[in-house]
Amino acid sequence: MIRYVLHRLIVFCIRLAIAAIILMTLIEVGYCVFGGSDTHVWEIAISEDLDRVFPDGEFVPNLKTRILQSSFVILIAYGGTVVVGYAWGILGARLRRFRARLILAVPWTIFACAPAFWLVVCVAVFSFFQWKRPGFADDLVVETGPDILQWWNAAVVALPLLAVAASWQLRAVAGVLEKEASQPFVTGLFLSGYQDEDIFHRNIAKRSGKQLISLFDQTLPVILGGLIVSEWAFHYEGMGALAVDAVKSASYLGIFIAGMWSAVLIGFAEVVRELVCQEERRGA
Amino acid sequence: MANRRQSKVADGAQRVVAKIWEIRRVLVLVFAYLFLFVWLFAEGRDADIRPSEILAIPNDPLWERPDSEHWFGTTGDGTDLFELTRIAMATTVAISVVISGLGVGLTFLYVMMFSFDPGERRFTLLKRIGRVIRLLPAFLAPVILAGGAGGGMLVTGLTLIVLIAFHLAPTVAKWFEEGEGGQGIQAGYVLGLTRSEIVTNRVVPVVLRRLIGVFACLIPIITLVEMSLSFLGFAGDRLSCGDLVAHGQDVIIEAPWMAVAPGILATAVVVILSLLGWFSSTALKTGRLPRWI
Repeated sequence: MIRYVLHRLIVFCIRLAIAAIILMTLIEVGYCVFGGSDTHVWEIAISEDLDRVFPDGEFVPNLKTRILQSSFVILIAYGGTVVVGYAWGILGARLRRFRARLILAVPWTIFACAPAFWLVVCVAVFSFFQWKRPGFADDLVVETGPDILQWWNAAVVALPLLAVAASWQLRAVAGVLEKEASQPFVTGLFLSGYQDEDIFHRNIAKRSGKQLISLFDQTLPVILGGLIVSEWAFHYEGMGALAVDAVKSASYLGIFIAGMWSAVLIGFAEVVRELVCQEERRGA
Repeated sequence: MANRRQSKVADGAQRVVAKIWEIRRVLVLVFAYLFLFVWLFAEGRDADIRPSEILAIPNDPLWERPDSEHWFGTTGDGTDLFELTRIAMATTVAISVVISGLGVGLTFLYVMMFSFDPGERRFTLLKRIGRVIRLLPAFLAPVILAGGAGGGMLVTGLTLIVLIAFHLAPTVAKWFEEGEGGQGIQAGYVLGLTRSEIVTNRVVPVVLRRLIGVFACLIPIITLVEMSLSFLGFAGDRLSCGDLVAHGQDVIIEAPWMAVAPGILATAVVVILSLLGWFSSTALKTGRLPRWI
């Protein structure tokens, strides 16, 4: 087991190195080939470059704050996706004869069709005009007491991403279970006198375990991509907004940091999935 | 006894009706798409509108709140915002259709490069590239490239086309593998058909049919991506729904409908496109696609 963990960690490091190379290539192609910039990736002045996205000069505290802010959003969006996606997906597959998968997915899918940037702007407008409270995330800073406003802001940014990811996850989970339920052994068990619940929970769900686990990190890249536009639209100071600010101000290091942060999260989720799937396989 | 044989005309008409009944779902979808596109691209004002000109706020703005005459209100120079949003959505949908079509075409060509290889592991390289690409959020690539290039639809379009090809290629490769594994195909080999004949005549038509479903599913997704990029200001000086919302943010106190109203039509169009995409993929049995952007 330890050998396998170390192996996956080495693969994780290699993947990060590849992500870094891809990022640098994208920056070079975007700014120098298409944009006609004279400054190449290997020629940047670090302090000058960072000053463009962190004008107050405090790089580490600012970065920590941004990572923390984005962590709240990811916690809500990704946590909600896993909970809703798996719970509703299993329910949808359990009630497959009523086509529950489609019925349960409808509200999330319609919600996902609304552009994320527009939804957060609507919330800001509504909040400002109807509730007479701050609209965008940077309108008011809580200086004393519990910062509930921070959770509200994070939830507003996270909800459109949750809708996109949950609608896919729900259908994917239900799809895997329904495919397993269409296998001939299910008919055999039914004819042998097994109860519906027994067949579903002890056979179908158990046999689909590995496939279901392999789905849990699939929505993370979508959530992290959506973070870029929804954070910036809501004026939320997170890593997604950092990526846009860095692109707009041509800060190569800012883009690199934001990109690598995403790559670390995606890579880590992939390692966890591989480890869990390996354990599941061994257990089986 | 009367001769009960049908005339050629009646026989032909019966066959046509039977064929139409067979493809009734496809026809309904085609009509639905046509209806949507005709409405979006209906004759209106000149579509070559520069948002920086039309959305500039004059000293004495003429904007009006939404009412029965102007459903979405008017802009600073008195232009009907609903009409403007419709033109913006038409542009966005047109771009999305082109990008999705070229992306699906490139995906097919990319997979076909490997599909004639008789080796068992012919798609390994393609799948590895797909895994490497997934290390970064797909949306980051157009943001960096279009932002670095100073905005512009050509760069954004090219980036999205390549991204579609790299992300969907492993799924299409899997379809090729599944298509070559059936009993009919094995029988074809036994009967002496060549690999090239089997791939071209048996596997490719099935994959092409499924790719039409992929194309239909991609349109709403690319529409959302294009709107998001234009909201961030990376799509150049071209009218788009994202750009309308971004301009509306500047006057959010004076005219909040400028930021809110365009999104309603955008959401409605994306919902319709998603539904049509879903119906198309169900009718063509496309199967589940990876969510990549």
